[in-house]
Amino acid sequence: MVSESARMNSAAEARFRVQAPNSRPRATAVIALDRDSQSVIERLAGAGWQHASFFSAASADSLCDLSGRTRSLGDEVDRADLVVLVAGPGGRAHAASAIGEACSRRRVMTTGFVVAATSAPEREVSKTLAQLRPWSLMVVIAGHDSYIDDMLTALRV
Amino acid sequence: MLRKEQNDLLTRTGPDTPMGRMFRLYWVPALLASELPENDCPPVRVKLLSERLIAFRDTSGRYGLMDEFCAHRGVSLWFARNEECGLRCSYHGWKYDATGQCVDVPSEPEASGFAKKIKLRSYPLVERGGVLWTYMGPPETQPPPPEWEFATVPPKQTFTSKRFQESNWLQAMEGGIDSSHVSWLHRGDLNTDPLFKGARGNQYNLSDARPVFEVVESPGGLYIGARRNAEGGHYYWRITQWVMPSFTMIAPRGNHSVHGHFWIPIDDQTCWAWSYDYHPVRELTDTEVAAMRDGKGIHVRYVPGTFRPIANQDNDYLMDRAAQKAGRTFSGVEGIAMQDASLQESMGPVVDRTRENLVSTDNGIIMARHRLLRALKAFTDTGVAPPGIDPEHQRVRSAAIVLPPDVPFTEGAREVLIARPAVAPASV
Repeated sequence: MVSESARMNSAAEARFRVQAPNSRPRATAVIALDRDSQSVIERLAGAGWQHASFFSAASADSLCDLSGRTRSLGDEVDRADLVVLVAGPGGRAHAASAIGEACSRRRVMTTGFVVAATSAPEREVSKTLAQLRPWSLMVVIAGHDSYIDDMLTALRV
Repeated sequence: MLRKEQNDLLTRTGPDTPMGRMFRLYWVPALLASELPENDCPPVRVKLLSERLIAFRDTSGRYGLMDEFCAHRGVSLWFARNEECGLRCSYHGWKYDATGQCVDVPSEPEASGFAKKIKLRSYPLVERGGVLWTYMGPPETQPPPPEWEFATVPPKQTFTSKRFQESNWLQAMEGGIDSSHVSWLHRGDLNTDPLFKGARGNQYNLSDARPVFEVVESPGGLYIGARRNAEGGHYYWRITQWVMPSFTMIAPRGNHSVHGHFWIPIDDQTCWAWSYDYHPVRELTDTEVAAMRDGKGIHVRYVPGTFRPIANQDNDYLMDRAAQKAGRTFSGVEGIAMQDASLQESMGPVVDRTRENLVSTDNGIIMARHRLLRALKAFTDTGVAPPGIDPEHQRVRSAAIVLPPDVPFTEGAREVLIARPAVAPASV
């Protein structure tokens, strides 16, 4: 007699898994914190994501969208399920704290992403990390900036 | 999520698949040396990367690993006689040496030279650290033998087991780099398992169930750092190593042995979970080895005469709802290894990754897939050898370490992430 687990784990039974959608779209705000990350954001924005908005940090309480319009930081964080903070090496991610605080107040998940890290001196990467770390629940340092595309795809953005 | 074609690409490892060709560039564990304990012992059937093979140890102690089936009529050489430096098929007496070369066809005159024209596909098989390793790729790209520290320390410092897992290798391997599940699925074991309990680091684990992660590419794969709060504003870091394609090393605890896994495809629906425990600077105690043999830590107890766990899908993993309700186990399944395996097998033989909903803390998994796909493309398009083959990539360690808040773990732990003979591991 085959156990229930043995039967249910089989490839044959996998055919009967419910195929109805099991999640609703999650909104992701991707924010460039410095000049290095701006070009990455612009490239990403051209890829036709369905559930992502792209911004650059402007002031303590505002963001700038890619068409140059000013947006309220609070409003955009309110709309987001995930905020991805993108910065290059060199410690110019000063806006991380204001955005991070806004996310923290609203319990919005944050991911910090350091671009162009492999070609930069470690000290410069560390400066950026020190700015991102207190505000990021996940920090990613990838060898290739193309990783951010894969990450957004994996997260169903 | 992964697109279906990406999922197929990563999970299929047969000889004619891109991932199968890449996997074949590495030395992989094939069987335990103890499975071929003496010269002329019985041969052992081995299935690896969707190829059915036979392993044997000849009269002179040479190991052989070759096509399981006799070239004559396709009989399994598991029935063969292991005698006088070769396997002799029990059907018509054809005989093969350790390289797969046919050396005798009794029905044909020796002078005809017929036997020389028959050769079974064979692969090198070498012993390191109590494990027999094979390389199944093209001879011209065969790398130096493996340099993993667990396989190069003196024998009394290391213990390795393997268990049969009824799922594709990738979902098993992804469990090995999914650090965020430990505080949930295994929480009952941190303070009770003899190979885990007593470490100061366990308290950090249990008092902070929501670690913050940092994922950083390493030369051979990834460092996955899990950060928890420690005293005085410092951070307790647990740094897992993943080396391509399927080696993981878990951060150590106290003075316990260091452990980790290899996830090796048997075929596309099953894999071997290899589990090693070793200590870089001391012998394992009799008590530790007894606990490992008894299925503690990351090891399992077996159905007698097999490498199948005694708790398996045929007996519902010996599910104990009372233990689950009482909080002794989180899932109702006993033992760290089977807690993982039971859930991974429940996903089905090959999980449909188009339907998953990953979250930010899954970045270790996302980046491992990204690196595998990137390496696969570079290898397929331009023949670039993937990371993890270079012995330098294999001389690594995991670490558990407390660092000041402004020190990146890659900087603060740089030295301790490299395996150095006779240097103690960084552990808390």
